[in-house]
Amino acid sequence: MASELITEDRTRHSAKKSVGIIRHLNLGTAVIVGALLAVTVNRIATKLIIEGDETWRRHDQIVMATMLAWFIGFMIGIGALVGPTRWFFGKDLNHDEAMFLAGKDMGIKRYFRYTTDHKVVGIQYLILTIALFFIGGVLAMLIRTNLGHESGGLIPPQVYNSIVGFHGLIMIIATIIMITGPFGNFILPIMIGARDMAFPRLNALSFWLLISILPILAATIALGGIPMGWSGYNPLADQGPLGVDSYIFTIVIFAISSAVAGANITTTAMKMRARGMNWSRTPLFVFGTVASVALALPAFPVFMLSQVMSAMDRAFGANFFNPEFGGSAWLYENLFWIMGHPEVYVILIPAVVAIMEITPVFARKPLFSFNMAIVGIFGIVGLSIFVWAHHMYISGWAPLLNGPFMLTTELISIPTGLLFLVILGTIWRGSVWTRLPMLSVYALLFNFIIGGVTGIFLSDVPEDAALHGSMFVTAHFHYTLMGAGLTGALGALAYWFPKMTGRMLDEKLGRISFWLVQIGFTVTFFGMFAVGLEGQPRRVEAYDIIFKNGNLISTMGAYTIFIGMLILLAAVITSWRNGEIAGSNPWGAQTLEWMTPTPVPLENFEVLPVVTTNPYQYGIKQETSS
Amino acid sequence: MWLMQMLSETGEDTTKQSGNRVSSFLSRRDVQQAIRAWVFWAVTLGGLGYLFIPHLMADSASKTMDIVKSTFMAFYYTSVPVAAVVLAIATQTVLHNRHTGTAPPPDDNPAIETNQMANIVWVVISSALCVFLLVWGLVVDNVVAEPSRAANATVVNVTGQQWIWTFNYPDAHKDTSELYLPVDQPVIFKVQSKDVTHAFWIVQMGIKINANRGEITETAVTPNKIGVFDVRCAELCGLLHAHMQTRVHVVSKADYEKWLANQGSVEQWPAS
Ligand SMILES: [Cu+2]
Repeated sequence: MASELITEDRTRHSAKKSVGIIRHLNLGTAVIVGALLAVTVNRIATKLIIEGDETWRRHDQIVMATMLAWFIGFMIGIGALVGPTRWFFGKDLNHDEAMFLAGKDMGIKRYFRYTTDHKVVGIQYLILTIALFFIGGVLAMLIRTNLGHESGGLIPPQVYNSIVGFHGLIMIIATIIMITGPFGNFILPIMIGARDMAFPRLNALSFWLLISILPILAATIALGGIPMGWSGYNPLADQGPLGVDSYIFTIVIFAISSAVAGANITTTAMKMRARGMNWSRTPLFVFGTVASVALALPAFPVFMLSQVMSAMDRAFGANFFNPEFGGSAWLYENLFWIMGHPEVYVILIPAVVAIMEITPVFARKPLFSFNMAIVGIFGIVGLSIFVWAHHMYISGWAPLLNGPFMLTTELISIPTGLLFLVILGTIWRGSVWTRLPMLSVYALLFNFIIGGVTGIFLSDVPEDAALHGSMFVTAHFHYTLMGAGLTGALGALAYWFPKMTGRMLDEKLGRISFWLVQIGFTVTFFGMFAVGLEGQPRRVEAYDIIFKNGNLISTMGAYTIFIGMLILLAAVITSWRNGEIAGSNPWGAQTLEWMTPTPVPLENFEVLPVVTTNPYQYGIKQETSS
Repeated sequence: MWLMQMLSETGEDTTKQSGNRVSSFLSRRDVQQAIRAWVFWAVTLGGLGYLFIPHLMADSASKTMDIVKSTFMAFYYTSVPVAAVVLAIATQTVLHNRHTGTAPPPDDNPAIETNQMANIVWVVISSALCVFLLVWGLVVDNVVAEPSRAANATVVNVTGQQWIWTFNYPDAHKDTSELYLPVDQPVIFKVQSKDVTHAFWIVQMGIKINANRGEITETAVTPNKIGVFDVRCAELCGLLHAHMQTRVHVVSKADYEKWLANQGSVEQWPAS
């Protein structure tokens, strides 16, 4: 159908006139409209909302109204409402408008518009992810600098607590989008042999929703920061400065964005696979990405709800979470962790399946036990919904539930073990082609086993009573989210970089970066495990002198990671601009994204492919197997 | 549905394993290499854990903390052989099957799509380990709860507020900012907060419970060592969270009685 569209387009050159208002909308107009509306509403709200006894509520109301106005203005200015408005008046976008939105013949400008082409959205997500990691990384350096200083205390506590909160919030957003954003958007539709996502406009919407958050996040600095940490625990958040309102808005919009992206990716994978691509011929990356976003679909609305309630507490004294007036801190903790634990797997599963996609290619062997991989992924998804209260063993909420939640938590090690089996079975008796993506496979195995084992320690109720809230926990979840998650994402970046940019990622700089990051990582978090075991609480700006050495080691490791990451950034920038030109299939892989030319044409495929096998047909078929 | 279909498809691959096959499998060169790598990793990881972890952990001042430490070591030693399998396969492949260069390796590896025996062994072992973890957890959880059931337990009311701890001895009508406990005597802490959520943590006794506003939570322990130990707040509670700490003095029963009777301020008590 889409190829029909192209021929149609060739015959109607003069049609550009019919592309109306959306021609004039871009990031610039979005910022202008957003800012104008924000200022206007701010003025009106300041006048209308009368100063009462509780002035803090008045300020919260004004700030929230202003942010809402910014958000609406920005989305109008970027053109998100053009399509729906037209539709409302019974006139959908015409073909030329659709082609314009897809970014046809628009060059670099399309990256600053409401462009619907999934490849543009993928690149936009990639840049955003890199930017977020950079900011989050700088914040991590500030944290480690403060803690590297003998017993801390270099940065004032109010600022330090906000830095910790920002680091957490930005890194959580970055790790959630790091694979499903860039690769789920750019690669996944090509991988299943589709011309675009199921809902191209929703795709653009999910990205621009995220961009609309950035000024709100930045405003936090002027509004007193988020000194309650990224978890936003109440009643501490209720007590916090106006920056907490920024945090609330960030979460709410992020939840909408991920719901939109999740619905889109799920529908695309369900409905738009190439002819012949039944479920047993569908690449694992598709399963994993769908599992991840589908898991986010029930999880994030709960988080969003908790923040809406928190906003009502702050602005109107609703007291959902304020125990002083009948609210419950435990209620907040439950809502938060009902999102919080599935979220760990929302981050981890795409990283693991990206690695599973890489492993057969570089080991030149079929993926081992495809079925077990799927059982593993969906086992984790199913169980992860029932483990949240292991974060609340020591909250005192329901001690009788500690046993059942210990059971579900420990059960999750079985499907997680299957993921190891699949990767190990694939590399066993295979080749080890030592290119950048393959290095990440090994790094993930190493880090994920440590992250998993330390998670088992913490699943034990009495053990958790000792270790909860200590640096041990911080080190543990960095092993899962960074050691396994980010490592998988970096492997995915090295692997799909040639397809996305048309150039190879610099192998030499990539290797230097890899070793600096991995060694730095091990040093940082072993130091942190040590001080955690010794009894250093997490999220502290100063600490007892006995923790001095471990913290110093962690800080030195962290600087090493940062240097390694800067080298990787340099490699990405230089390779993107003038790296070695990549062929359409530099790795000799079999998934469909490698069967289409590089750079990928607007409609992805000249002729839509037909699939006859699964994409892991490597090696020589033989009788014996072990 | 498709999942079931796929599962049954692989069922056809099931092969019978005889003792003969096992021994020929074990004598294969790559298997031998992997076993050697496994021994190396198991010994290295086990040895490092044995040498370092006990020194890294905080000292123990209660049976609860002893259990925390032994649980940590038990789980550590249980996971060593499993982690060693992962690392052994990684090591063997990296050492012996490495392919360098810019072109993909030749496509001459065995096309093994699955191995039913490997799947079964893997699932059975991980399930068995899981049962072990759960049983261990339930048993020790019951043991650390013993002090809370003691009939003669001392009760101390603990109140957290930004950013100090206050301890109230209801029997003696005494309020203090540092905790005094008699050795070998079960004590129940009734914990609450005046403002935000805190977490009451006696580091060397391995106990921790949140302090919530409007709720009373409980934890209990029997200190078994005379000395001075640390109370820290383990839940981010605002500006001076890092400084929300105080001390626990575990003293002999006689000293404790003397201290209870003493009407003077806490600060006069010598640091034991
Ligand atoms: Cu506190």
